[in-house]
Amino acid sequence: MATTPRRAAILGGNRIPFARQNGAYAKASNQDLLTATLDGLAARFGLAGTHLDEVVAGAVLKHSRDFNLTRESVLGSALSPTTPAYDIQQACGTGLEAAILVTNKIALGQVDSGIAGGVDSSSDAPIALNEDFRQTLLAANRAKTTGQKAKALTRFRPQQLLPSIPQNTEPRTGLSMGEHMAITAATWGITREAQDELAAASHQNLAAAYDRGFMDDLLTPYLGLTRDANLRADSTVEKLAKLKPVFGRGEGATMTAGNSTPLTDGASAVLLSSEEWASEHGLPPLAYFVDGQTAAVDYVSGEEGLLMAPAYAVPRLLARQGLSLQDFDYYEIHEAFAATVLVTLKAWEDAEFCKSRLGLDAPLGSIDRSKLNVNGSSLAAGHPFAATGGRIVASLAKMLHEKGTGSRGLISICAAGGQGVVAILEGA
Amino acid sequence: MTVAVTTLTSAPSLARVFATSALTAYGKKGSVLPDRTLRLEGVRVDRDHLVAYQRLCAFGVGDVLPHTYPHILGFPLQASVMSARDFPLALPGMVHLANAITVHRRLTADDALDITVSARDLRPHLKGRVVDLVTEVDVAGERVWESRSTYLSRGGSNPDAAQEAAAPDLPPGDPVAVLRIPEDIGRRYAAVSGDVNPIHLHPLTAKAMGFPRAIAHGMWTGARTIAAVSNAAGDPSTSQIRFRKPVFLPSTVEITRAASGDSVVAGMRSRKNPETEHLVLTLA
Repeated sequence: MATTPRRAAILGGNRIPFARQNGAYAKASNQDLLTATLDGLAARFGLAGTHLDEVVAGAVLKHSRDFNLTRESVLGSALSPTTPAYDIQQACGTGLEAAILVTNKIALGQVDSGIAGGVDSSSDAPIALNEDFRQTLLAANRAKTTGQKAKALTRFRPQQLLPSIPQNTEPRTGLSMGEHMAITAATWGITREAQDELAAASHQNLAAAYDRGFMDDLLTPYLGLTRDANLRADSTVEKLAKLKPVFGRGEGATMTAGNSTPLTDGASAVLLSSEEWASEHGLPPLAYFVDGQTAAVDYVSGEEGLLMAPAYAVPRLLARQGLSLQDFDYYEIHEAFAATVLVTLKAWEDAEFCKSRLGLDAPLGSIDRSKLNVNGSSLAAGHPFAATGGRIVASLAKMLHEKGTGSRGLISICAAGGQGVVAILEGA
Repeated sequence: MTVAVTTLTSAPSLARVFATSALTAYGKKGSVLPDRTLRLEGVRVDRDHLVAYQRLCAFGVGDVLPHTYPHILGFPLQASVMSARDFPLALPGMVHLANAITVHRRLTADDALDITVSARDLRPHLKGRVVDLVTEVDVAGERVWESRSTYLSRGGSNPDAAQEAAAPDLPPGDPVAVLRIPEDIGRRYAAVSGDVNPIHLHPLTAKAMGFPRAIAHGMWTGARTIAAVSNAAGDPSTSQIRFRKPVFLPSTVEITRAASGDSVVAGMRSRKNPETEHLVLTLA
């Protein structure tokens, strides 16, 4: 066992094309999507029958029967059945958090190889029993005698047959993520034009990445899809400007279906290992996982915006690594909404925010926007919640490898519950 | 002045109290409050009832009594005081204007509560007359919780009536939460609280009382607002709830919030028409 932390290498990744909700993957389950993704990864890196030390993944929208989702997916995949697995869940931060966990174990010498991933199906979503019906059935189940059971069941009413559909709202506030973001966007004065420009760039950048073959070794076709179904290569600011706002109210509403991510189905996985394991298997590292950081904010009281936590996590990570915000070749800021990216960047430029909220003497400053989401991000690809982290880690690792040894990339992902997960990668 | 304390052996049945109050509602007169205090000793919390209340108001399920829970235990005594033949105001149609609660110490489901209720301070109001029902809860002789519920009996106008203490404005701005209040919340809260006032139960019974639709119980909207803005209101704390427009069922409402020092001001307003204000709460 290693006595000093080891470098954790990113060897590559795989994902399936992301489908729009109720599209190509409408009838596939989370387990189907994740298994297909693991099989694609195994095929690309020759891992069929190979024992890995662990697979860590998760889903945000998860059926209670899928308590061992990742392990079941491993058992259904080409990987050796001796590969252990566990599930995690940190909303949209799930995929990146999985990578932090696996790379930490690699650094400590507890594992030599592993896969971090994530999957989400918004189509094959869990539907719960009506809460009253559930309580009635539980009461009947607790009853000991037939008479007591019969009595408990008399509380059944026909309207209890109406199922409970999962709500896309924050449990504590009753506001959807888009409504929360609309409040934050208005507070920061983010314009409709700026959001549409970012959205158009995301589509154009991802389309260009497909066209030059960048995606070829990051993706395995699935159920007839070879590209992300949400991608609009011909997207322009002019076309996006025609859409009506869907979040926010009145004159100031700026957020549309075009500059917000749609509900999506998909999965991703990243192969991680120690340098020794990589060299033994003849797999050259693309990048190293340098460090990760999480943060959370008090959005329940309205003190801070729901999706602002990455703005707090990044300066803590920079301080620990002795880096400035400008010391990066690429920035991958997850586009939950175009406004999320724009507010985060604006907050880091804002002296007052950086002083009073982040406790910094000087603002973090601006970034070179030509280094931001250069191969597109979630607005174009779509955002199957837990799968986004793996999508970004794999593509950023490849970009850094192309850039060269020592190049640096920053990942920032916001998550429900007022959370944020961020990380730094370094090119190998 | 001596006060006649009547100690009851069990909580009065609210269904009976409401039935009696309907019969005694006519011919109410006088301007003197009867010199009467009702007391219920050694009240034990029914844990199933506590859980039902905690779930309904969105407090977490646990051993600590929510800030507003003792109000439910004292409410049968309040109704009993107000339905007495010699009580000068009629119970049916009474409007809950305000409620102030002080939790002196954290209470749990294991505490044996001595609950005392009396009517105080009958006074003229712009739109009729108001009275305070004061509920005091002791454990082993120590005052642990108290509440002052202010009710309006409509009728007559008293333009010269002294102004009630001014309520703070609802905090303006974006909502911190949106609550979708279901049509059956009145029936659900009636089942837990025993407050079966017909204005809360069904559109038809509410229409009979002059309301277009059923309205939510004020103490449910107040408790739900407290649950929305605080995790710790079962600890020593003070709240003041001022009720404004009723919440017609079903409704979607917004919670707004502003903090100043250790106290929080929260408001509940209509989501559709934000100028329709339902209540304002201060919690410290």
